[in-house]
Amino acid sequence: MADVAHIKPKDQQEQGPMKLGTQEGRKWPIKPEFTPEVLEEMEKLLPSKLNRIVATSLAGCIHCGMCSDACHYTRSIPEDKTLLPAYKADRFRKWYKWRYDWLAKLFPSFVGAQPLTKELAKEMYDKLWGGCTMCRRCTFNCPMGVDYGMLVRAARGIMCQAGRIPQHLQDTIDTHYNSGNNMAVPQDEFIETIEWIEEELQSEDGCEDFTIPLDKKGAKYFLTLNPREPKYYPLTIQATAKVLNAAGVDFTISSRYWDLTNYAMFNGIDSDAKLFASWIFDEMKRLECEYLLSGECGHGYRGLRWELPNWLGGVPFKITSTMELFAKIIQEGRITLDKSVWDGQRFTYHDSCNIARSGGVWEEPRTVIRAAVNDFVEMEHNREQSFCCGGGGGALAMPEFSQRRIAAGKVKADEIRATGATVILQSCHNCTDQLKEISEHYKLGARVMNLAELLTEAIVLK
Amino acid sequence: MRENQGSVTIIEIQYWEAPTFHDENTLMKKGEIRTMENKVSYALYVLQEPVQYVCLLFMATMYSLKIYQLMKKPGPPEKAELKGDRFAGALHSLANVIRPWGMESTRNNLYFYAEFVVFHIAVFLTIGATFFIPLVPKLMTPAVSTVFMVFMGLAFLIGVRRIYRRVTVPEIRIISSPDDYFAISLMTVFFGVGFVTMYLWILGKPETGWMWVFFLMTTFFLLYVPFSKISHYVLYPFGRVMFGQIFGGRGVLNRNS
Repeated sequence: MADVAHIKPKDQQEQGPMKLGTQEGRKWPIKPEFTPEVLEEMEKLLPSKLNRIVATSLAGCIHCGMCSDACHYTRSIPEDKTLLPAYKADRFRKWYKWRYDWLAKLFPSFVGAQPLTKELAKEMYDKLWGGCTMCRRCTFNCPMGVDYGMLVRAARGIMCQAGRIPQHLQDTIDTHYNSGNNMAVPQDEFIETIEWIEEELQSEDGCEDFTIPLDKKGAKYFLTLNPREPKYYPLTIQATAKVLNAAGVDFTISSRYWDLTNYAMFNGIDSDAKLFASWIFDEMKRLECEYLLSGECGHGYRGLRWELPNWLGGVPFKITSTMELFAKIIQEGRITLDKSVWDGQRFTYHDSCNIARSGGVWEEPRTVIRAAVNDFVEMEHNREQSFCCGGGGGALAMPEFSQRRIAAGKVKADEIRATGATVILQSCHNCTDQLKEISEHYKLGARVMNLAELLTEAIVLK
Repeated sequence: MRENQGSVTIIEIQYWEAPTFHDENTLMKKGEIRTMENKVSYALYVLQEPVQYVCLLFMATMYSLKIYQLMKKPGPPEKAELKGDRFAGALHSLANVIRPWGMESTRNNLYFYAEFVVFHIAVFLTIGATFFIPLVPKLMTPAVSTVFMVFMGLAFLIGVRRIYRRVTVPEIRIISSPDDYFAISLMTVFFGVGFVTMYLWILGKPETGWMWVFFLMTTFFLLYVPFSKISHYVLYPFGRVMFGQIFGGRGVLNRNS
């Protein structure tokens, strides 16, 4: 077992577990409906959200309808035409036109402009929180390059700031704000969990010397985790640690800020997104690591790899992911894998939208999978063209839209079924939960697994 | 007088009598034969040139204002270590229009894409005709004019089909505003008028009622388009370049280039 006492932060040794998160507790003032005051607040907020991408995306739609087949909602629920991406975006666009379109000043109805009424705002709420996962598949199929992801995030930010956001989603963000991670895992409990996982790891044959170093200054990689892992899926931490140890990777985990998620990507509040990113940034500086290493988490990866440097104005370290590191380890021959352990199973891989389409990582997971299994079948739509599973954009944190979320997973379920796979691989915790649900709902009979879990079984320890 | 020389129709034009809008060098000499000439009344000349220039200036001003308003807004930052080339991504994205295989939405709708190509070529040719006819009419030989006419005719048919699609396809109908119907209808009528106008032009009739309607519509377009969805071509480069920069930089686009 690792000697945790000597690696605890100094202040923690002296004062016990430190208060993580912000010093003040926060409960976001959520309003039950779109009152005149809420609408007035939204009117005030609109200009602040109109950066060049959002403004172009609002003004640039030509209503050609080419997005209709691109969306997993429209493909899965074809009877509901209001789930067309252009229609959903128009709930926001109508209001934008009312405010900014030149012709709308004279003939608002002619250009489809509408003032922000309670009814329009309610439609916006329904479609942009509960009918879009910001997966950007429509963006990739839009002739005009309309960035629906950014457009929807801007609309969500306005609604959220004015007090209209699904309660559970905002609770998740408030928990992150108040506790330092979105599942309110206290520091001492986290340390105990990591210790326990380390013990479990060391009890495996050939892993007696493996460690999960906490707060090790100067480690090459600072591994960040999704809070679901210490809370519900500790074996994924164990699996990741096993692979990293087997490959001789010098890594550490922070006992303070280790949460790679950033649900402020989903509610559109940049100040929160920056705050959560800054905690990770500060830990990187404190631990003096060379690489910030994202665990297997879709939006978490994108948030760290691509958005964090923008939120913070650049970073003096490198950022990568376990997906990429696993592929590198395999390509360098640093671990040996026995594919036969997975014989009898057929695998397919679901590309998380934030990792592939918005992140540019899709060959690395395939490098890992091909090294570990013999029977791998691609889905019809894969890589950057993969359909969203339906669990993105914070959808799993909005129980009021669960029925639609499960229905929207049908196109993915159909593609999985067509592969005949018994195991669905993926690298995202939101995808994990959604895929498990749709696997059960659509009776796919397939289990869901991430890459670390795949590798840990196939690793041959010397 | 019209006469046929082989397969090419030549139109002999008499000396230009109206106050000319060409310089001295372009004035016809007696007995000179040119392939085509825009012999029109002074009134039509005014419509074809000074009025168009004023309207063009108005359009350019409106577009400049539109672009200025857009450029004033903060652009997308990119402080992350790049995996790809943002510039190459932008070029790749801009070239999307000539790569129907690049997007699933066009790959699976090649007929729709072909319509788009013909329609937009016709737009360019029709706009071109409004310049060539008054300014360089000799370019508008019967052969060239026939090409213009064919594209206008095809675009007219495509326009009719697009109106039908907008009316009958439920998901398109629910996203359509009156501006969407008006824009496509206007373009369709414009192509129809252009088709007939070109036909009459080939017959050696530069000033007809159709030509008047054609240029009156052009005038209206120049004034109306900056306010309508037809101005999407101004936003097109912005949308595509930003898309290309973001996803090119992230190594999502043109990986093999």
